[in-house]
Amino acid sequence: MFIFITSCVGVEPQPSTVDRAVLSFLALLSLQPSRRSFGSNQKKEYKVDLAFTTELYNPEEGKERLGKCSARVFFRNEKPRPAINITCTRLIEKKTRQEEDYRLYKYMKQLQNLLDVVSIPDSHGHIDPSLRPIWDLAFLGSSYVMWEKTTQFLHYYMAQLSSVKQWKTNEDAIDFDYTVLLHEFSTQEMIPCHIHLVWYPGKPLKVKYHCQELQTPEEASGTEGGSAVAQTELSNF
Amino acid sequence: HQVLRISVADEAQVQTVKELEDLEHLQLDFWRGPAQPGSPIDIRVPFPSIQAVKVFLEARDIRYTVMIEDVQSLLDEEQEQMFASQSWARSTNTFNYATYHTLQEIYDFMDLLAAEHPELVSKLQIGSSYEGRPIYVLKFSTGGNNRPAIWIDTGIHSREWVTQASGVWFAKKITQDYGQDPTLTAILDNMDIFLEIVTNPDGFAFTHSKNRLWRKTRSLTSGSTCIGVDPNRNWDAGFGKAGASSNPCSETYRGKFANSEVEVKSIVDFVKDHRNIKAFISIHSYSQLLLYPFGYKKESPADKDELDQVARSAVEALTSLYGTKFKYGSIITTIYQASGGTIDWTYNQGIKYSFTFELRDTGRYGFLLPASQIVPTAQETWLALLTIMEHTLSHPY
Repeated sequence: MFIFITSCVGVEPQPSTVDRAVLSFLALLSLQPSRRSFGSNQKKEYKVDLAFTTELYNPEEGKERLGKCSARVFFRNEKPRPAINITCTRLIEKKTRQEEDYRLYKYMKQLQNLLDVVSIPDSHGHIDPSLRPIWDLAFLGSSYVMWEKTTQFLHYYMAQLSSVKQWKTNEDAIDFDYTVLLHEFSTQEMIPCHIHLVWYPGKPLKVKYHCQELQTPEEASGTEGGSAVAQTELSNF
Repeated sequence: HQVLRISVADEAQVQTVKELEDLEHLQLDFWRGPAQPGSPIDIRVPFPSIQAVKVFLEARDIRYTVMIEDVQSLLDEEQEQMFASQSWARSTNTFNYATYHTLQEIYDFMDLLAAEHPELVSKLQIGSSYEGRPIYVLKFSTGGNNRPAIWIDTGIHSREWVTQASGVWFAKKITQDYGQDPTLTAILDNMDIFLEIVTNPDGFAFTHSKNRLWRKTRSLTSGSTCIGVDPNRNWDAGFGKAGASSNPCSETYRGKFANSEVEVKSIVDFVKDHRNIKAFISIHSYSQLLLYPFGYKKESPADKDELDQVARSAVEALTSLYGTKFKYGSIITTIYQASGGTIDWTYNQGIKYSFTFELRDTGRYGFLLPASQIVPTAQETWLALLTIMEHTLSHPY
């Protein structure tokens, strides 16, 4: 399930200059300015071609295994939720992937006291290694939200996990309720989003979210709107 | 004093704990008050009351853990840490360049540097911020009278912390390399360098005190409860055109009129008074780009070919150090349309070598770049700056 993209190989290589370089597919997409191969037809469709590599979430010593992916992303009529065709080779076998997921799941199940968590990374860009998987899980949920909002003009990044509202592991699934700040690049806005995700390895991720869309005066208390969002299931994401 | 964390199993227990709250003689300090079952309750309990509280809870089968054994020792430790990390550096050689600093620490650094190198470095005040903070520029000069000059600014957008941190590093680097590095020495023997490290001090202070992701100035806008103007949309170049917002609550709010922001006006006045600035470089983060005009219009600047060449060389130099990949081009084609931007104005003033950098990274950490990347970022960026400065020196106009 966790596919982390380290570098874009192709027209303009982006080698990982940070350790364990983890970029979401969407962040990578946002890196592509107009230099990318754009095609457009009368129906105002923009497509972007990407090539990138992936790496194992927890690479073992001497076991570097880079998967290779290429993708074509279609934006239609400036609408969000682009269609994506993606093919990858050299990914780790499904069975190993499932084992990895389960290991991660077990680690997360024993984490406690997460309600105190604020600001990951902190102001200095630091993430406590023991909390790294929380950030990653938050990022996974955010990447779905970002995909729902991305258009050829609007590009998002997850700036920060700002708080954990709930972390429930007493039942089978991990029930994670949190807020993030999404940074939209062209407007430079910081958008607070409240995300609720439920994860059990092997099952599709469930994501509900509500983002504060309006530019409210910063003095106003940060209210999240009352409307519940229909539960959305992700498959093959 | 100890801090106890109480887990209440049901509503009845919540009520019971609330009763504790009413017992004033215990002098309990609820850090996290009784709310509902499932929510932990944290109480700081003074030493004399510890026994009583524990007995009270145990008798009613209310589970608790000792979260903090001894509050005083924690406080003592924190005090120590604060002093240690306060970086009261006594010289710029003991200053920690690999961490982020407060406004005061950076201002102290400037004074230290100027005191250590009085023949090379002086500190100028070019104005005061909206909230009354001094706006300082470091001048690096080996003499002459109003020599052609290079301007570098960092931190115009306060949340872009790697830029102010890099500015501090550049300042130190200049003092180290003058007389040692042939390129820099040649530059400073003929030109002056002006470096404004904290271009938006109010915003920067705010990123430390309240909101790490604050971008704009902190000026009040009449008629709105929203605060701040985007200082990189407030310049008199394409002001009012597409590429900035007229909404005061927006991150790209242009302001009511060009140069409304004193932080911007101070630089404008400085540049106009100086009259001999030949290169102007404004540094931002993030996305790893080197940009030249224009942002507000699609037409290429007359010097497009040369600027593109210089950008290409500068990026090559940057990449040579750690392999960090940068893209380059005009603002409007490379990043997005932006009006009222700094280097569009400076270019229109006749400052041919007008560039904007967007430093590391490309979004993984974004504005919250780990401190460990400050020095590598500054080092690679410096190579690009040297390229631009050297070109400026060898192409007088």
